[in-house]
Amino acid sequence: MLKPSLAIVQKDLRMEFRSKESILAMWIFSLLIFVIFNFTFEVSRLVMLEIAPGLLWVAFIFSGMFGLNHSFAVERENGNLRSMALMPVTGGSIYLGKFLSVTIIMLLFETLIFPIFVIFYDLQLTATLFLLIPVILAGTIGFTSLGTILSAVSVHTRNQQILLSLLLWPLVSPIIIWSVNLTSMVLAGEILTNFLPLLIRIIAFDVIFFTISFMLFDYILED
Amino acid sequence: MSEIALHLDSVSKDFGRIIALRGINLDVQPGEFVSILGRNGAGKTTLLNIISGISTPSEGEVLLFGTDPAASSNKSKLAVISHEMFLYSNLTAVENLEYYTQMYRVEGMEDKISSVLETVELTHRRFDLVSTFSRGMMQRLTIARALLHDPQFLLLDEPFTGLDQHAIAMLTTILKGQKAQGRTILLTTHDLHIANDLSDRFVVIDKHRVVYDAAVGALGVDELRSRFFSAEGAQS
Amino acid sequence: MKTLIDKIILVILLLAFLTSIFLIFAWVPPIKASNPAEQIAQRIFYYHVPSAWIGFLAFFVVFIGSIAYLWKRERKYELLSVASAEIGVLFITLVLLTGPVWAKPVWGIWWTWDARLTSSLVLWLIYVAYLMLRRYLPDGNKRANLSAVVGIIGFIDVPIVYYSIRWWETQHPKAVMASSEGGLAAPMFFVFMFSLAAFTLLYVYFMRVRYKLLVMEDSINKQIKEMEIL
Ligand SMILES: Nc1ncnc2c1ncn2[C@@H]1O[C@H](COP(=O)(O)OP(=O)(O)O)[C@@H](O)[C@H]1O
Ligand SMILES: [Mg+2]
Repeated sequence: MLKPSLAIVQKDLRMEFRSKESILAMWIFSLLIFVIFNFTFEVSRLVMLEIAPGLLWVAFIFSGMFGLNHSFAVERENGNLRSMALMPVTGGSIYLGKFLSVTIIMLLFETLIFPIFVIFYDLQLTATLFLLIPVILAGTIGFTSLGTILSAVSVHTRNQQILLSLLLWPLVSPIIIWSVNLTSMVLAGEILTNFLPLLIRIIAFDVIFFTISFMLFDYILED
Repeated sequence: MSEIALHLDSVSKDFGRIIALRGINLDVQPGEFVSILGRNGAGKTTLLNIISGISTPSEGEVLLFGTDPAASSNKSKLAVISHEMFLYSNLTAVENLEYYTQMYRVEGMEDKISSVLETVELTHRRFDLVSTFSRGMMQRLTIARALLHDPQFLLLDEPFTGLDQHAIAMLTTILKGQKAQGRTILLTTHDLHIANDLSDRFVVIDKHRVVYDAAVGALGVDELRSRFFSAEGAQS
Repeated sequence: MKTLIDKIILVILLLAFLTSIFLIFAWVPPIKASNPAEQIAQRIFYYHVPSAWIGFLAFFVVFIGSIAYLWKRERKYELLSVASAEIGVLFITLVLLTGPVWAKPVWGIWWTWDARLTSSLVLWLIYVAYLMLRRYLPDGNKRANLSAVVGIIGFIDVPIVYYSIRWWETQHPKAVMASSEGGLAAPMFFVFMFSLAAFTLLYVYFMRVRYKLLVMEDSINKQIKEMEIL
């Protein structure tokens, strides 16, 4: 069960690291998001701190979209998606494999983006900042668990990228909203009593979306 | 091996308003080599997709080794070679094959890989990215990939397209070897001479129906051609 | 191809909506509001809220239809889901249009990024994406499967969308039906229920018509195919 999933992860990461320039491109792109935002909204530092959490997640989401599109474009070339349907593995383990590789890549992007963010917004590196780790993990997993299955859906259409955005953004918006809320709390250094319940809620929905997608993936592979 | 390998009972397939297959009946015995002939758009690829279980028929019944083609027990018995290469161009030949051995849970990965690479004469290019391969080389790697897990049943959709004379001879030898090992093979091709040389039986599909089904030799190549593939009556 | 039942429903619908207009504008006493514009605008409530409820009902039918399709693989469930998704989008569109009609005189603005408004918009976007997906795919098993998967995930997302956005402050009037302070006055409640019944019947009628049209399309396609094959 786990073995084929890991084979997919190995293959995906191999290809991803082979094209290092795309990782670099992604990193520069997120840098641009911060820069452009500063140009277009000349706001005071106080307001900036208020919108910074949202901005951080915008950069994360773009990197996630980038990773998803890339990961599934590769499966589409030479009919590899069809080949997966022919393999003696369950749809669930293919889903798990793609989910893992997309998540790892997105987390990697986020690790690269976060330091720029810290510098640009002059974040104080306090101890509470560590609370961001579970928040980012939970939000990212929500994004990728839905993103993986919806990429597999949209990859069958001619307009894969636009359709993925159309499907994914509204569906993932609750998780993103909560993640932004939690990120604001951490950055403001005010951990409210509803921090933990909210985090648990995100994790609960991660589990729900992952499980449903895991079960439904077989239907996506068949013709 | 007494059990029938493939059984199709009045199988039809539509894609919305497009007709692909109509009322196909076909039985294939284990070890049989069947060539499926037909013009472009006749429905050959669709038929192979239904047999491999990635496509479900709109009507009718398909049994592969007595069960649903998509059953997991069938998947490791099956190999498909189609116009789609099923290769990652950003991986090397060996990496592609490694991935396949993992997915098919092939024992003795390294030996198996070097032996299939030997068979398709790609050993010298094994550490090169597939994106640097010519079409014919990719096709050969596809053949290697299909042989990795010792499939019982081979579905070959126009495998000779894009190969040079040497590679055609290579594939012919490979297929004869597979047949000698008792594998069941379904081949679609436009090359009547190769089909005549390799197979036990011809099935001709025209306008989505089986119009001819007989042992090789019942009709000569020229007769087949003039009956089913003559220029007059040729369609778009 | 309208059957007798369709004709009867159509007549009832016509009478029901005429009656509801009478009830809303002439019969039910206006609410007590300082702003006279609000008194008039409030009447949209009798169409606004039933539209929202029917929209939810429609998407619930998409959900059930999608599960049934993946389970039974019968075309009718696919068609049922599509018909319901289209009609659901129609009703939520009504919600999004009638909302601003009320908001402009009362709040002074057409739109605000308020919890209820935003979540309704997100809901609308989810099902528009569902319909877009179907447009991009050729007819067949694949399309049926993929849209069923989205139909299922989409509906599971609906309560989450509402839940998540509720976290914000909302200006939107409370869900009056469920509020603890006694809820609606009796005549208002009656008019609301009447309107809800009319909208439910409208949904049923639309479903019947749309579903039959889809089935007809199928049978025409089949006939064309049979002709081609000859
Ligand atoms: N995925 C598909 N969607 C729509 N039509 C298809 C699809 N696959 C095949 N067809 C149609 O089905 C018919 C048979 O195609 P195919 O099986 O590919 O023929 P062949 O392999 O004999 O050339 C053709 O008319 C083709 O256009
Ligand atoms: Mg073909």
